[in-house]
Amino acid sequence: MDQKNTAQEIAGLRTTLLRVARLQLRNDTWAEDAVSETMVAAIEGLAAFDGRSQVRTWVIGILKHKIIDQFRRRSREVSMESQQELADGDALEDLFDHSGHRVAAPLEWGDPEANMSRGEFFAVLQACIDQLPAPLGRIFLLREWLEFDTSEICKEMKVTSTNCFVMLYRARLRLRECLDLNWFAGEGAPHHG
Amino acid sequence: MAKLFINCRQAHWLLSQQCDTRLRWYERLALRIHLRACDWCSIVARNFAYLSRAARHLDR
Repeated sequence: MDQKNTAQEIAGLRTTLLRVARLQLRNDTWAEDAVSETMVAAIEGLAAFDGRSQVRTWVIGILKHKIIDQFRRRSREVSMESQQELADGDALEDLFDHSGHRVAAPLEWGDPEANMSRGEFFAVLQACIDQLPAPLGRIFLLREWLEFDTSEICKEMKVTSTNCFVMLYRARLRLRECLDLNWFAGEGAPHHG
Repeated sequence: MAKLFINCRQAHWLLSQQCDTRLRWYERLALRIHLRACDWCSIVARNFAYLSRAARHLDR
């Protein structure tokens, strides 16, 4: 493998890496740090890259570890935000009536494959995650994108397991409502036969 | 005694928990009973699975 070309490819991934890091970390400085550390680690590790995966996949794998490192370093700040988020009122109660039943039908989203191949769908999903309060966005991505166990998430974010489940619940409900409104109810979603 | 008949709010909560941990037997039973009767919560169950799958592809 031509290491010079691979190094150029890594440099060309910077914008993508920053987008992913900002989405996860919600902080430009932390994201810049994670991306810089990723690029240094990737360039230094070029000799170990065996070319069995795509460069992009390999570098994003490194970025995930660097994001986790950032979480560990910033855990005190993240924990304080998490507690504030849990103390906030919850607009999600509007979804249910006084007896706890849903007041409106959710939309059937259909075949996942129909949207997974569309870049616009992921742009809308990312925008919905961006709209979440930062701790909810982080915890959702730790769980669903980085595929952490909830016990690891509790440890990283310094929250109790109950708080962790509550935050994941709120994140999922808000994202579900956001996608209903901004993708599936609009022009974006493919029509189901 | 655990409740076997739950409302949509409780079903949504269990649906989310189910994505992260194994529910207790009586929770699984209560959720199954509720989903049999509630089309809307069944849709939400599929939506959550969809969301989880989509999130794994966010770095595309």
